[in-house]
Parts: sequence; structure tokens; C-alpha cells
Amino acid sequence: MAPRTNGTDRISATLAANRLGVGAVVYFVLSAAAPLTVVAGVVTTGYAVTGIIGLPIAFLAVGAVIAVFAVGYVAMARHMANAGAFYSYIAQGLGRPAGVGGAWVALTAYNALQVGLYGAFGAAAAPLLEQWLSLSLEWWLLGLIAWALVAALGLMRVDFNGTILAVLITAEIVVILLFNLADLVNPAAGGVATTATVFSPGALFAPGVGALLVIAVTGFVGFESSVVFSEESRDPRRTVPYATYISIAVIAGLYAFSSWAMTMAVGADRIVEFSQKNATETIFVLAADHLGATIVDIARVLFATSVFAAAVSFHNTTSRYIFALGRERVLPAYFGKTSARTGAPRSGSIAQSVLGFTVIVVFAVLGLDPVVDLFYKAGTLGGFGVLLLITATSLSVLRYFARNPGGENVWRRLIAPGVACVLLGVFSYLAVSNFTTLLGVPPDSALGWVLPGLYLVAAVGGLLWGLSLRGRNPEVYARIGLGAKAAAGDPATGPTPTATAGR
Amino acid sequence: MRLADEFFLISWDTAHQGRPRLNPGTVALGLGGALLAELMLQDRITVRGSELRILSSQPVEDPLTGDLLAQIRDAPQHTGVRTWLAYLAGDAVENVAERMRESDLIHREQSRSLWRIRVRYLAVDFIVCSWPAARLALTLTKREPIGLSGMVLAGLMEATGLFESVVSNPADRPASRQYLDVLLASLPPPYVDLIGQLKAAVGDAVLAYRG
Repeated sequence: MAPRTNGTDRISATLAANRLGVGAVVYFVLSAAAPLTVVAGVVTTGYAVTGIIGLPIAFLAVGAVIAVFAVGYVAMARHMANAGAFYSYIAQGLGRPAGVGGAWVALTAYNALQVGLYGAFGAAAAPLLEQWLSLSLEWWLLGLIAWALVAALGLMRVDFNGTILAVLITAEIVVILLFNLADLVNPAAGGVATTATVFSPGALFAPGVGALLVIAVTGFVGFESSVVFSEESRDPRRTVPYATYISIAVIAGLYAFSSWAMTMAVGADRIVEFSQKNATETIFVLAADHLGATIVDIARVLFATSVFAAAVSFHNTTSRYIFALGRERVLPAYFGKTSARTGAPRSGSIAQSVLGFTVIVVFAVLGLDPVVDLFYKAGTLGGFGVLLLITATSLSVLRYFARNPGGENVWRRLIAPGVACVLLGVFSYLAVSNFTTLLGVPPDSALGWVLPGLYLVAAVGGLLWGLSLRGRNPEVYARIGLGAKAAAGDPATGPTPTATAGR
Repeated sequence: MRLADEFFLISWDTAHQGRPRLNPGTVALGLGGALLAELMLQDRITVRGSELRILSSQPVEDPLTGDLLAQIRDAPQHTGVRTWLAYLAGDAVENVAERMRESDLIHREQSRSLWRIRVRYLAVDFIVCSWPAARLALTLTKREPIGLSGMVLAGLMEATGLFESVVSNPADRPASRQYLDVLLASLPPPYVDLIGQLKAAVGDAVLAYRG
């Protein structure tokens, strides 16, 4: 037992020593957001597939809307038992059955985001092996190697050490900024015109803009994880909100800057053609001319580590989601089990890995493209799912604070969530109507409704499952959305106040 | 043997490795819960929902839980069970191990490798140390009656995910699990609440894990 000291509150002091500050939470969020994966992979493929060049303004617009959304999101997190998960918000705001629908949608979205990364890893690692070992391996073999490592790390509960991740993320951001500067110092002709084009608000009203919005949202995925640490932050009323806004600002600024710099280097009229030709090599080809081989090699390694770290991060997010649902008994209790030895959410981890393996094999057998078909299409499908979740969550925040207005001012509980809800609703509508542009398939392609339809099936399936629980198992029904706290019995008790959390 | 000592012995491989069977974070939370339960079994504190309350500050015999009781008494602003679990988890392993060492149940071995110190806790008497887990397994598989302290130990085992380690034969598990559910359903409410809070703390540690 720790010795007692006079006067000071030993318990608060001991607990506070382990709590997280703003910087730690920001780094955690950015590691899930994987900046180099987005800049080298998502942005370039986005240009190539959609053929639209308004990405820079789209990143800024989406960043602004997500920041407004975050106002209500972090405010409601303080009143939540399971703050890290969108479905908990939806269960609180729109009812428990809708919450289960949200959980099914979230599982689909996060799994899509995760499996897509195996395609990107193949593309990121292949040039390295070719260059260093003169080895030319199929993407799916590299994907399976990454898969095996992710599966093992997930079961062993090895998250990357915080310090290593912080170093990697910092290096990624430095490399991105260096590349951007090199692009700007060596522009193609017509720089001013290019800048005016890609930042023109008019680009937000161009045909196919829904595609850009989904790509931009995909870049922001990960920002939502800040609230996971509500209970472990030094000051829940400040640490988590600050960290969330800082992360959103960094992401928006970095991606808008990078997508703009690329167009400056090759010209707005040629960026689409250039990224179609060079794919995920685009930024490395651009940098090779100006920065020299060493920096480009370092950047390639960082691209591969970025993709891999993101794959681990999304794997863990997904298996924890499955675990939380298992603890609530919304999924069978089996999924709420952990490995005793490591404390990893074992069943959730295995389930996610089984899916990942299946997807890699199916894509390999069908001979589909790892970058465009797997990474980009699955990734943006996941990003689209997250857009739908954010939209439903903004509505939930509004409904929740309409019924429980205590403790939050009118900006946080009404104005910001209301504005976010309307704009996100418009984004979602545009996304659905421009889905074929997003995928780069003909307007009459069935994929344009089959893929978004997956979410409809998931949402309705979850909703019906939730409704059936109400009659079949009222005890489980009462605990929907409580996450791990479902074990604590009486749901009316709500979140457990922590020592320093002054509510 | 005290409850936290018994929990230590079922969560720790004192026979061979001297290392925990569970991941360290969960062992620490479980031991914290066991220390609180010791005070509950002596009617010094009780738990209702997520809150902890003092029933009597009458001193207890054991210095470790005696000090804990004094701390609870001196910090009336901290009533959350989760707060105390998190606080106790900080040094519960060392404290309980030290108490057991003083009772001559285990001994401590320290080895130094290049970059870290490795501590192992090993049984002084193998039979004595393996008894809590063996007795719990027997109780569950033979569906034998069990006292309050044993039921609480079973609850701590369940909340920390040790069931499969205690009932090691897969064939015994379905029936044992059934009996365990019966036992836990008949626990007095304060213990149900304590174990619920512990299980939630263990689960939240999975969700907010950060390497």
C-alpha cells in the first residue's frame, strides 16, 4: 500500500500520474489516421479513379464540418459509458435497435478499411523488395505476410509502442512536408491558375463531388478514437476536446496541402493522367527528381510502415468493437472473451483475421487489382460507412441533448450538432448519388448500388436484431451500447465517475 | 488463507514459471478487487451499484487491508469502486505478494538481465499453493457447496477470465460453467456489484489499451 501523505489527495495524485495529456492523445489519433498512407495511397488513387481535381478544397470542407461535428461528439462523450464507439451514441440518441444497426454498419466499415490495407501493403512493399533484393513478389503474397503478422500481433496484444509510433508519425509528416515543398519549389507552368482551380469553392458544386467528399472522409477516419481515452485523460473536459480539434486541424491542413502540392508539381490539367500512370508511385516519382534517392527510399519505407501500422490499428479497433458487442451479449458471449495470457480480445481478433484472409484470397483468385480494387474501393467503402455513422451520430447527439440538456451550453448541444447534422446529411446524399464516380465505374454499373446497399442491409439487419432482443432478452436489450460496462449490472447507474473527472 | 492470497495463487503460476497466468493488468485489477472483498467479508465496507461505502472503521487484524481501510476512511471524496480498483491496481501485486511472503507462502526471486529486472514468485510448498485452484475446480466440477468467500473467489475468477485456466479439462467446462452461474446468481448484491465493476474495469482496459 502506498504510504499516506498528509493534506494532499494521494489517490487522485496516483491516478493522475498515469493519465494522458493532449499530445499523447493527438499522436494516438494520428497513428490511426496514417498520414503517409492517405497522401501516397488514397489521394493519388483518388485523382486517378475519379478524374476530379477538387480534393484540396474537399479536405478543407470536410475538415470544417467534422470539426463542427466534433463539438457535440466530445461533449456527449462525457456522458457516455462506451464513448469510443459510434453505435453507443446511436443507441443513446436514436434508440437501442438503431444502435445495433449502427454497430453492424460500423463492423462492415472498419473491416472494409482494414482489409483494404493489405492491398496497399502489397503495393508499398513490392518496390522495396525489388530494389533491395531484386525479388519480385505477387501483391497477395506480401499481403498474406502482412496479414500473418497483423493476426499474430493482434492475438499477442502487441500494439506498437507509443514512442515508436510517435517517431514514425513524426517522420511521416516531415517527409510529406518535404515532398510538398519540393513540389512547390518546382512547379509546373500555371501555378496560380492551378491553385485557384483546386481551392475553388465552385469545385464543391461540380458533378461527382460526392466522390471527393467520401475520399476526404476516408482520410479523417481515426479522429473518432480520441474519445476512447475520455476516462484516462488528465482533464476530460479539456484534454479530449483539444486533442480532437488539433488532430482534425492537422489532418485537414496536411492533406489539403499535399493534394494541392501534387497538382502544383504537374499542373491541374495533368494530375489525373499522371496519377493514373504512376499510381501509388506518384509522390515518389515527383520527389525523385528533386530530393534525391536517399530521401525517396526513406519515404518508401515509411509508406510501407505507415500502411502496416494502420492495418494493425484498424485490426485492433475492429476486434475491440467485436469484443464490446460480445460483452454486451449483442453478439454471442464468445466474442466477449479475451485471451487470459495476453488480455487481447481473442475471439474478435480471430474473426477479423479470418475475414482478412478470405478477402486477400478472393481478390488474388479473381485477379483484381490490389490498389484500385482492394485498397481504394474497400477503403473508400469503409470511409463511406464512417460518413454514414458520423451522420447518424450527429443526429443522435441532437436527440440526446434535447432530452438531457444538463451541463452543456446551447452551442455544444444544439447549434453545432444541428449544423453538422444538416451538412453531413447533404454529404451522405451526395456520396450515394455519386457512388459510381467514386468507384470509377460506368454510371449504370451495379456496384454503384450494391456496395452502398451493403450498409442498408447491415443497418436493417442490426435494427431487426435489436428489436428482437427487446422481446427475447430484455436484460441484454437494456445494456445495448454500454460496451464493457455492460458487465457492471444496473444500466441506470450509467458511467462510473472517475477520480479527477469533475462532472 | 486470505481471499487476495487465494486469488494470487489461482492467477499465478507459482509452481514452475513464477509468472502470472493472466496478463499483468488484469491480475492487478483482480487483486485490487480481492482486497476490497476482504474488507467486505469483514463487514468493514460495502458496495452498492458503482459506489463504495464504509460500514465500520473498526481496525482489522491484517496491516495491508487495515491500511486500505484507513485510506478509504480518509478519502471520503472517493466513493467510486472503479476509482479504488484503478488505484489499488497500481501496487496490488507487490503488496499482496509481500504479505504472502511474510506468511511464508511464496518466495521472491529476482534476476537481472541486460535491460530489466525480472521478478518471479514461487511456491514455498507446492501443495499448499496449488490448493486454491484445485479446490475451486473440484467445487465447480463436483457441484459442491461452497462458502461465501469461495463464491467471491469464483466471481473474481470469472470476472478476470480465469475460468478456463482453473477448469482446465474442456470436458468439465459446460457443467462447471452452469454451476458457476448458479453460484454467482446467489451471491449477495454487494458482491455482485463489486464483481460487475471489476469485470467492467477489465473490459474497459481491453478497449482503451495503448501498448
